[in-house]
Amino acid sequence: MKTYVQNEDGSAIICAMGTILILSIIGANVLMNCTTRYNVTSKQVSAWRNALAAAEAGADIAYAETRKTFTPGATPFTGTGWSSPDSSVGPWTYTMPTPIGGSGNLLATATVDTLPVNNLLPVDRGYRYYRIRSIGTSRVSGLRRTGMDDTPARVGASFGLAGARGGGDSLVRKIDFNFDHFIATYGDGDGNNKRVVSVPTDANGQPMAQVSRRIELVAVPILPTGRGAITTSGSFYGPGSAGVIDSFNSNNGPYDPTVAQGGNPLPQFYSDSRDGNVICGGSSFTSLTGEIYGNVTTNGATLRTDRYIYGTVDNNVPVVVSPQPAVTPPPSRVYEAGSPATINPPLNNPNCGGNSPDSWANAPWYLYSQLKDVTINPVAVNSTPRETYVNIVVNGDIKTNLTINKGANVRIYFTGNADIKVSNFSNGNVDGSALLNIDGTTSTNHSASAHVQFYGVSPTAPATQTINLDANGKPTIEALWYVPGADFISKGNIMMYGVVVCKSFYENGDCYFHYDKALANMLPPNDYRIASYVEDIR
Amino acid sequence: MKLIKNQNQQGFTLVELMVSVGLGMVILGVITTASIALNRSFAAVDRFFSTHVQQVRIIDYLNRDVKRSNIAEISADAQTIYCWVPKYVIQPGDSDATAGNINTRRTPTITKTGYGYQVDYYPSTSANGPGGTSTNNSAVVYSISGKSILRTEDGVVTTVASSTDQLVDQVTDINLANSGYLSTVVSFLPVFTSSGANVERAGTTVYSTAYLRNMRRGN
Repeated sequence: MKTYVQNEDGSAIICAMGTILILSIIGANVLMNCTTRYNVTSKQVSAWRNALAAAEAGADIAYAETRKTFTPGATPFTGTGWSSPDSSVGPWTYTMPTPIGGSGNLLATATVDTLPVNNLLPVDRGYRYYRIRSIGTSRVSGLRRTGMDDTPARVGASFGLAGARGGGDSLVRKIDFNFDHFIATYGDGDGNNKRVVSVPTDANGQPMAQVSRRIELVAVPILPTGRGAITTSGSFYGPGSAGVIDSFNSNNGPYDPTVAQGGNPLPQFYSDSRDGNVICGGSSFTSLTGEIYGNVTTNGATLRTDRYIYGTVDNNVPVVVSPQPAVTPPPSRVYEAGSPATINPPLNNPNCGGNSPDSWANAPWYLYSQLKDVTINPVAVNSTPRETYVNIVVNGDIKTNLTINKGANVRIYFTGNADIKVSNFSNGNVDGSALLNIDGTTSTNHSASAHVQFYGVSPTAPATQTINLDANGKPTIEALWYVPGADFISKGNIMMYGVVVCKSFYENGDCYFHYDKALANMLPPNDYRIASYVEDIR
Repeated sequence: MKLIKNQNQQGFTLVELMVSVGLGMVILGVITTASIALNRSFAAVDRFFSTHVQQVRIIDYLNRDVKRSNIAEISADAQTIYCWVPKYVIQPGDSDATAGNINTRRTPTITKTGYGYQVDYYPSTSANGPGGTSTNNSAVVYSISGKSILRTEDGVVTTVASSTDQLVDQVTDINLANSGYLSTVVSFLPVFTSSGANVERAGTTVYSTAYLRNMRRGN
């Protein structure tokens, strides 16, 4: 039998394997790079952005608590997750009890404290200004060994305990793979309690990379009459084509019509003239091409700036207008007898605890079913009027004639409507001037509008009050109007000084509305808003 | 059993050899071409990813700085962005810096302006804005230099996107609207290598909108 030896020489398999090896090396190299990029774009960027969302969620929760300050029956900073060493003065700390996010990878903690009183305006030191610091943390999923892209400038290690970082992604997105770099470097943010803190571990004891972002917000109280000239919770219509809305500050003198137009150099109080803000709480804003020297905000309108609006426009601002409750004399105070046509407030009034009408607290109380044809006089010393205070409750409507003589300060609380012929309305007080108080000291009240304050008691919805100002010619009315449940209607070319807070505002004439900034602090705050937002990017 | 030696010692004929060598060269050529094409394709993908990473980085930087700005402005040619951000942390050289308070957070003071409450972190003014504008904020400037995008904060320059990944900036179009947001478009032309020359392909574009949180004046 013959046996043949086969020729076993050959290289096909070697060639094939070599080819596969070369292709695999190329593929692996590129895949490794691509995986790095993919990991950065899909996982690390996502986690970094989500961390801010978590921080803002924590800040929102804290902000919601601050707003409870003015909610009857609510106690702020007492809900689930809140704790404090002294709940009355803070600071208050919130720890999110359960993670949030699609995969439960987000957590937030927030700390709220009050700003030191010396950092506030003296006039505002009676209110709390909250500082909210929130930390949002997001877990970083994906491949741990593929780091970030520091292509622009590679400047050393990316993730050291000392906080040394690269120049690209690791500079903007500071991911903690093993240790919290912020606590190691900055402690609590002010250099206190620096320490090495490991990131959490998973079920297998492996560190779970995370990224934290820190923001600080300042919540300031909202003063109902400090926002601008006209605030509505609903619609706004006006001003007429020759109308103007601007501002001044009676503490600096009377209104000067030339200031708003500016000049070169600008007049001294030019900045006071540009706060004729209109705050419209609805989406219905109709401009009649009158000039608005201030900012305009709406809640859903599609308004844009034009040559008639000299400020900014923001169409995304909700407005909170608190209702005006019914008012009665406080304990130890009773109504004066009758409903006189002429009010002469008495000194040493037994109905006011024996006090003279030298302040709102000591003002006498008068009750009317309808306020019409009434004159209010001040106390006079040696025939010279002194600052005198009067409260009037009207369980009905207000109609003219109304005469408030110089020196008289009056607060009128009414449940019905107001129908005022402006030419029959007289406010004898003068902007920019100040009288003496009853005790002989000098008054700090320079505002004519502050002397006449109308408060419309909010009717039960859907009922609405109506404030109707009517004019022949160009009469003047100086007053503060806080009528949150009222449709405010101005007809004719009225010269209005003061401030209006109402349900809706409508003026069909060439009305001149001059907001007196001295009225800003006339009413206590009723809400908070965020006035500052900063991020600690260290 | 006698082992019979294979006596067949004839080689390939010339024709066989030429055919086999020819086939081998064709196969090798195909493999080589495929490898080059694959490598080129992978390189293109890598550069595209790299481009995208840098786009995302620019947007992240911009969003972060715009959100915390008090003021943001753009140049007339829409190629430079100026952001004024609160000076939140005390840095060496600040007027209120001492040996013991560097890298600590400031407590703000509150004043009232024509825009309502104004929260200030830095008590002093410094000429660090464009054109020497006095401001008590940090000035963050985004600008284009050659094929790089630079971020300059109080004079410290960081290259946030560069040409090292063969990026070609095409358009950086920024529009600051009245209501206080910054709408940004960042486009790049990823570069592909073809026949030894760099060829620009269709650009990739990333759009982004960031609101100025400090400019928002809610009521």
